[in-house]
Amino acid sequence: MAVTRRVFVKSGGLALFSLGLDPLFLERAAYALYRPLPPSSALVRSDADHPVLVCLFMRGAVDGLNMIVPHGDPFYYKERPRIAVPAADVVDLDGHFGLHPALAALKPFWDNKSLAAVHAVGSPDSTRSHFDAQDYMETGTPGAKATSDGWLNRYCQHDAEHANTPFRAVAFGPELPRILAGSAPSLAIDDLQAFGLRVPQPGARDKLTRAFESLYQGAETGLLATSGRESFEAVQRLQQANPLRYQPDHGAEYPRGRIGHALLQIAQLIKADLGLRVAFLDSTGWDTHVNQGSSEGQLAGRLQELGGALAAFTTDLGERMRSVVVLTMSEFGRTVRENGNSGTDHGHATAMLALGGPVAGGRVRGVWPTLDPAARFEGRDLAVTTDFRDLFGEILMRHLGAADLDAVFPGYTVGPERYPGVIHT
Amino acid sequence: MRFLPALLMCTALAAPATHAQRPPLTPHDSALHALNRLAYGPRPGDVDRVATLGVMSWIDAQLHPDRIPDPDVERRESAFPILDEDPASLARAIANVRQQRIAGRRDGSDGGGPPGRRLLPVDSQATMRVRQTMDQLQQLAVMRAVRSERQLQEVMVDFWTNHFNVFFGKGADRAFTPSYIERTIRPHALGHFQDLLLATAKSPAMLFYLDNWQSVTPGAEPPALARMARIDDARAEQMLARMPHGLNENYARELMELHTLGVDGGYTQQDVIAVARIFTGWSIERPQQGGGFRFNDWAHDDGEKTVRGVRFPAGHSMDEGVRLLKLLAQDPATMHHVSRQLCARFVSDEPPDGCVDRAVAAWSRSEGDIAEVLRAIFQSPEFWSAQALRAKVKTPLEFMVSAVRAVGGDPDTTPRLAQVIGRLGEPLYAQPSPAGYPESQQDWVNSGALLLRMNIAVALAAGRLPGVSIALDSLVPATDDANALIATVDVRLLGGILTTHSDEVLRREVGDVRDPVAARALVIGLALGGPEFQRQ
Repeated sequence: MAVTRRVFVKSGGLALFSLGLDPLFLERAAYALYRPLPPSSALVRSDADHPVLVCLFMRGAVDGLNMIVPHGDPFYYKERPRIAVPAADVVDLDGHFGLHPALAALKPFWDNKSLAAVHAVGSPDSTRSHFDAQDYMETGTPGAKATSDGWLNRYCQHDAEHANTPFRAVAFGPELPRILAGSAPSLAIDDLQAFGLRVPQPGARDKLTRAFESLYQGAETGLLATSGRESFEAVQRLQQANPLRYQPDHGAEYPRGRIGHALLQIAQLIKADLGLRVAFLDSTGWDTHVNQGSSEGQLAGRLQELGGALAAFTTDLGERMRSVVVLTMSEFGRTVRENGNSGTDHGHATAMLALGGPVAGGRVRGVWPTLDPAARFEGRDLAVTTDFRDLFGEILMRHLGAADLDAVFPGYTVGPERYPGVIHT
Repeated sequence: MRFLPALLMCTALAAPATHAQRPPLTPHDSALHALNRLAYGPRPGDVDRVATLGVMSWIDAQLHPDRIPDPDVERRESAFPILDEDPASLARAIANVRQQRIAGRRDGSDGGGPPGRRLLPVDSQATMRVRQTMDQLQQLAVMRAVRSERQLQEVMVDFWTNHFNVFFGKGADRAFTPSYIERTIRPHALGHFQDLLLATAKSPAMLFYLDNWQSVTPGAEPPALARMARIDDARAEQMLARMPHGLNENYARELMELHTLGVDGGYTQQDVIAVARIFTGWSIERPQQGGGFRFNDWAHDDGEKTVRGVRFPAGHSMDEGVRLLKLLAQDPATMHHVSRQLCARFVSDEPPDGCVDRAVAAWSRSEGDIAEVLRAIFQSPEFWSAQALRAKVKTPLEFMVSAVRAVGGDPDTTPRLAQVIGRLGEPLYAQPSPAGYPESQQDWVNSGALLLRMNIAVALAAGRLPGVSIALDSLVPATDDANALIATVDVRLLGGILTTHSDEVLRREVGDVRDPVAARALVIGLALGGPEFQRQ
């Protein structure tokens, strides 16, 4: 059975290819291993065709201006004498913007047009509180505090197409984040290897699993019984995928650290065809008030991990990336002007990245408001020209095929005319 | 109070009329039901004790926690230094560290050395102190829930903490939350709703959490600013930039939507604005001055307001806020909204109207005496109905605490047991949303959470769960006799909840386990992780 699945996975990729979509990921040498299967199986729709969204929250407010550097904007160097990334170090993207050098590992994806950046994106709410701004970005209702569920969960609630498989919505970390809180089932997984009943001896584990399974199959009805059944199905399917033996493909090497560890597990889940549609991971260390550094230093270290992990993930997934989009987000940006301690304080708009086959990459999207003091928000911060809901909404609509965004972003009308255009149409 | 057992008999006798297939509740079953709802489940021996005493007598005693001696918990509380801490002290410590950090930032880059590194120890001190506060606060709640004789009081402290939720992780609430629990919520948990509402409105934790502390009437300036402007224009300018300006509606909105009237309680956006204007000036002292409640006259909007048709004439400064809170506390919509939440907690996720009506009537009669409202719920036929029995799925807190109680477990003073509850999805004082944690089973039952509960049950039964010690030998002696083992576990630890099916599964699974200690751990682990124990 597992073998057949693999075949379907391959054929799924082929099906899209033969339907004339861009062979984005075939350009890379790593995919030389890819061997087309006979056309007879090309029409079988498999899990590999289903879109996956991976959301990566950079908690602490990343300095978008040093991540996607506006080296063509004269105020950038003027306002940041100590922490600006020198033009010579910037990995130029389009003559005006460039990648921080620590993100150089992502340049190939820019070149093959699977990486896009959106600049000057953020919340319409003016708060500079991490707590409030993260809350708004995760509930998807800026300014409204009482929203109890997250927008990713609301998407799952209202998306009728996908079945509620146990692994449909997974957050990697010890607790379920706000963005996935709500009535649609979602899992928080700290470590895939530890998913299931934790007994070291396989014999004892199987016995315990069987016993609990029988208990829950018993007289119980309703939600407890259904969830019990789902639990054991998930355990069984994950066991078949054998996370202990996982080896990344195409020589991908994930950097040490939380981002790499979570992305590696997400890649595993995607490849195991367990019905993953929405994955979430977060990272910390972006709140660079003091000594944030320029080409090297504190922020560079964090970006290095991010870039390396994203590159490894993309390499590892290979052709599967054609149905995967990774989206980074952060609660707000940082001050245009560096502070007295070679850092930056809480600002307004920031930059976000979208990576994957469906991404219309090779472009910095969004409207650049410039760093001209007159154009700044409250006279000091990069102004928001793209409401984050328009970016998230575009991805839900065009990538995940969401039918109705009114329920996902209540009180806001997401309109195609305001989409930043990160997804191929 | 003598009539209470008689009343229980009436409801018990009334039950067969509507549910002919069910026998009336036995004293044992009613004791177990009451212990599942008013308490965090039975400890070994509790069911028999309550049944012998008479369940209504036990309930009556629980409604007067001050009359129940609780020496064990009082002794254990001495291991939690936050209880002795002056509420302002932590605020000052955290504020001082912040000041130092800001000062460090100002002169840092010119000092030659790497300022970031030099500042690190200060930061980590603060982090450590915040961490320890959170650890103690969480574990204190778990310890009390497990050990306290005043079980209903602990359940109600949890209920109100959730109803008037604040988030420990938001800025200064790291300093304000301990006193919020101890001095704002706890003393009023079974008191009058109006007093509780007023206490939360004036609490620094709530004022900070919902931003009211910085809500000022537009254009208002503190007298200190005018003084500064006469001396130093530039510094006055800086002060002005840092100062909050304008109305903040957050508290006003949540006060009506969550704390009192309910979302359909009948108010408009205009009412929200009027309420926000009434609460302008309700703020917090600087930490150096104690960090308590403070009313800033200069920030208050002294104009006339109208809230839901009620006129608040101009010039009543802080009094009009107090008047508004009293009106809200006695509003029929509030009585209904909060009574319904209480019934959802104690009776079922979708509480029957009859029960809610009884609670509202008691509220009205007693002018919001929470103990009387609860008494009405516990005396209602709905509370004792067949549909209510075992109808609710335990929240993570209820599951963990009831499991530890079932095995007579002893939590230590480390935060480890509280962290397990966090992993189950309900970290205490860490819910960012003002709506608090949900009460219904849909929000807690899913495959990942169930697996985690099973793992925790197995670890607890084997004595491997960190943060709690168990001594099973006196409760369930290890034995080769599988039938006797299962029966003892069911009767002594679980109150006899195992179904025939579970009984058969346990017998089958334990049959081939040779070691009696391992067999005991297996049976208890399966029973606590199994479906029956997830319900209450």
